[in-house]
Amino acid sequence: MLEIKNLHVKLQDEDREILKGLSLTVPKGEVHAIMGPNGSGKSTLAYVLAGRDGYEVTDGDILWNGESILDMEPDERAAKGVFLAFQYPMEIPGVAGLTFLRTALNSVRKKRGETELTTPAFLKLAKEKGAKLNIDIEMLKRPVNVGFSGGEKKRSEILQMGLLEPTLCVLDETDSGLDIDALRIVSEGVNALRSPDRAFLVITHYQRLLNYIVPDKVHVLADGRIQKTGGKELALELEKSGYAEYTNKAA
Amino acid sequence: MNVAVMKTKAEQAISESFEAAAAKLPGSAAVKERRAQAIGTFGGLGLPHRRIEEWKYTDLRANLKEVLPAAVEDKTPLTIGELIVALGPLAHVDAHRIVFVNGHHRADLSDIADAQGLAISTVGKALQSASEEAVANLASTPAGGDAVEALNTAFMTDGAIVDVAKGASVAKPLLIVFVRAGSEANAVTVRNLITVGEGASATIVEASVVLPGAVRDAHFNALAEVSVGKGATLNHVLSAVDEGKSLHLSNCEVTLAADATYRGFQFSSSLGFARHGANILFDGEGGKLDLSGAYLARHSEHVDNTLVVDHAVPRCESRELFKGVLDGHGRGVFQGKVIVRPDAQKTDGKQMSQALMLSEDAEFDSKPELEIYADDVVCGHGTTSAELDSDLLFYCRSRGIPEKEARALMIESFIGEALDKVEHEGLREALASYAMQWLGRSPRG
Ligand SMILES: Nc1ncnc2c1ncn2[C@@H]1O[C@H](COP(=O)(O)OP(=O)(O)O)[C@@H](O)[C@H]1O
Ligand SMILES: [Mg+2]
Repeated sequence: MLEIKNLHVKLQDEDREILKGLSLTVPKGEVHAIMGPNGSGKSTLAYVLAGRDGYEVTDGDILWNGESILDMEPDERAAKGVFLAFQYPMEIPGVAGLTFLRTALNSVRKKRGETELTTPAFLKLAKEKGAKLNIDIEMLKRPVNVGFSGGEKKRSEILQMGLLEPTLCVLDETDSGLDIDALRIVSEGVNALRSPDRAFLVITHYQRLLNYIVPDKVHVLADGRIQKTGGKELALELEKSGYAEYTNKAA
Repeated sequence: MNVAVMKTKAEQAISESFEAAAAKLPGSAAVKERRAQAIGTFGGLGLPHRRIEEWKYTDLRANLKEVLPAAVEDKTPLTIGELIVALGPLAHVDAHRIVFVNGHHRADLSDIADAQGLAISTVGKALQSASEEAVANLASTPAGGDAVEALNTAFMTDGAIVDVAKGASVAKPLLIVFVRAGSEANAVTVRNLITVGEGASATIVEASVVLPGAVRDAHFNALAEVSVGKGATLNHVLSAVDEGKSLHLSNCEVTLAADATYRGFQFSSSLGFARHGANILFDGEGGKLDLSGAYLARHSEHVDNTLVVDHAVPRCESRELFKGVLDGHGRGVFQGKVIVRPDAQKTDGKQMSQALMLSEDAEFDSKPELEIYADDVVCGHGTTSAELDSDLLFYCRSRGIPEKEARALMIESFIGEALDKVEHEGLREALASYAMQWLGRSPRG
C-alpha cells in the first residue's frame, strides 16, 4: 500500500511550495488516476516518489508497504519496487538499450536477492517482452531512446517497467504524444501488469487514457493538494467541465 | 661531438645518458653519426617548455625531473602467458603480432607467420645492417624541429617496419606490442615505420602495455612514421595503458597521398605524464583523415593530445574528435591546429574536443587553431567541457542502477562516441574494456 501523508514539497533552489499537504492512499491491486491542470504539481509528485534531487520535502511522509521511502536513494526505491515511467523519457547517447536494460535488471535482481540473469537468458526475456510492445531487438541495440519517436519512447518505458517488475508503478502522462494505436499498445502493456500485488498511480491530463486503463479511483490535484476523489466517472466529468472549478477554488 | 651548452640538470643528464649508451646502441657507423647529430639537435633545442607554443600546457622541462638510463639491452624473461596478461583485453583480438619487450624485439613472442600482404621487419635489424637505404629511412624525420623526435633518433633501439603490399587488403589487424616488464626503471625509445602501398588497406595497432608488477616509473618515447599510398586506407590505433606513473611521449608523422584515407585513434588510460603528437600532411588531393581519441586521467595524471593537420593540397577532408575523462587532479590538454594552405581550396575540416569533468580539481585546456589561407573552404571546430548530467544519472538510478555504476555507464556513453570511430569490432571492444577497467567495472583480463 502506498500512503502519502500531508506531503509538503518545495523546490530546493526556490522558495516556492509546489505540494501543499497532499494526502493519498493507493492499496495494492488498485489503479488510481491523478488528474489536474498543467503546473499543478503532478510531475513533482511523481519525481518525489522516485527520489529525484532538486525537491525538498518540508513536511509529511511517503510510506510504501509501511516503510518511509523518503530517505532512500532512487536505486534503493527501484529495488523496493518503485518505478516511474517518465513524462519525458531521457535519451542516453552511446549506451545501447540492451546494455541499459540488462544493467538495470541485474542491479535490481541483485538487490532483491535474486540471481543475475545470464546474457542469453536476458536476451530471451527482452525479446519476449519487447515483442508484446512492438519493440524488436534492432531497436534495443540502438542507444537508449536516441532518435526515438514519442510513441517509441513511451513503449520503451513500459518495456523497462515490464522487465523490472515493480510493485508501485507511477505513470506520468504516458498518453502524451501518443496516437491511438500507440496508446492501445501502451495501455495493453500496462493492463498486462495489473495484479493484486501491484499498485498503480496513473497521472494524466486527459481522460482519454482512462478509457484504456480503467482506474479504481480518480483524484483531482490542483494547487498542490487533492481537491476531490471519486470513481472513474469523475474523469468524464472533468473532461466536460474542465479544471476551472478546482483552480478557482484554489485561487 | 657538437653537444651544445646544456641548461637544466635533466638536459645535462640526458646528454650524459647518451654518452653512456652510445657504444651499446645498435647501428652501423652511419647510424651512430646520425644519432650524434640528433643529440646535438636536442642540445640546441633543450627540453620543450611552456613558452614553446606546441608544448604550452605540457612543460616537459619542468616535469622531467629524473632521467632514466636508456634501455640499450633487455634480458627480462617474459612468457607468452605473461604477454597475454599484459595485453589484457587486446589479447582476445585475432591479430598478427610483433612484440617488443622493454624496447627490444622478441621473435619468440611474435606471431607473423601467415601475415599475407604484410612485409614485417624490425628497426633493430635495419639499424645494424649497412644498407644505406635503411639508414636513410630511419634518419629521415627530425632534422630540425622537435626535441622529443630528436631524442627518439638518438636513442631508438628497435621497432617495427611494416610494408603493406600494393593492392593488398589485410583483414586481420597487426598488433605492434611494446611491453614493459621487469624491475629496472629505464627509458625505452622505439621507432615504427609504416608504409601502405597504393590501393592497399590494413589495420595496425601500436599498443603500449605493462606487465602487472613491473616497475612503474618508466619513460617511453615512440615515433611512428606513416605513409599512406595513393587510394590506400590505414586504420591506425595507438593505445597506451599504464599505471599512472610513467612518462609517455609519442609522435606520429603521417603523410597521405592522393585519395588516401587515414583513420587514426589514440587511446590513453592512466598515463602519468603524457603527450601524443600527431602531424598529418595531405600530400595529394582527395585525402581523408579521421583522427580521434579517448583519454582517461585521474590523480595528478596529465595527457596532452596535440595535432597539426596540414591541408597542403585541395579537396581533402579532415575530421577530429577527441574525448577526455578527467577525475581527481587529472589534466587533459587538446591542441588542434588545422592549416589550410593558399591553394588548398575545397578543404573540408571539422574538429571537436570534449572533456567530461568528474572532479572540481580536474583541468582541461583546449586550444583549437585554424590557420586558413584559402577562401573556398568549410572549416569548423568546437570545444565543450561538462560534468555528468544529473538528470541522466537520476534516470539510470530510477531504474535501479546504483550511483557508481550509473556514473560508469554515463562515462562509457561519453567516450563511446569516440570509440565508435574504431571500425574493427574486436579492437573497439578491447579499448572499451580498457576504459571499463579504468572505471572499475570489471577485473583486468
Ligand atoms: N525542477 C523545477 N524547477 C523549477 N520549477 C519547477 C521544477 N519542477 C516543477 N516546477 C514548477 O512547479 C510547478 C509544478 O510543475 P509540475 O510538477 O511539472 O506540474 P504538472 O506535471 O502538473 O504539469 C510548475 O509551476 C513548475 O514550473
Ligand atoms: Mg507533468
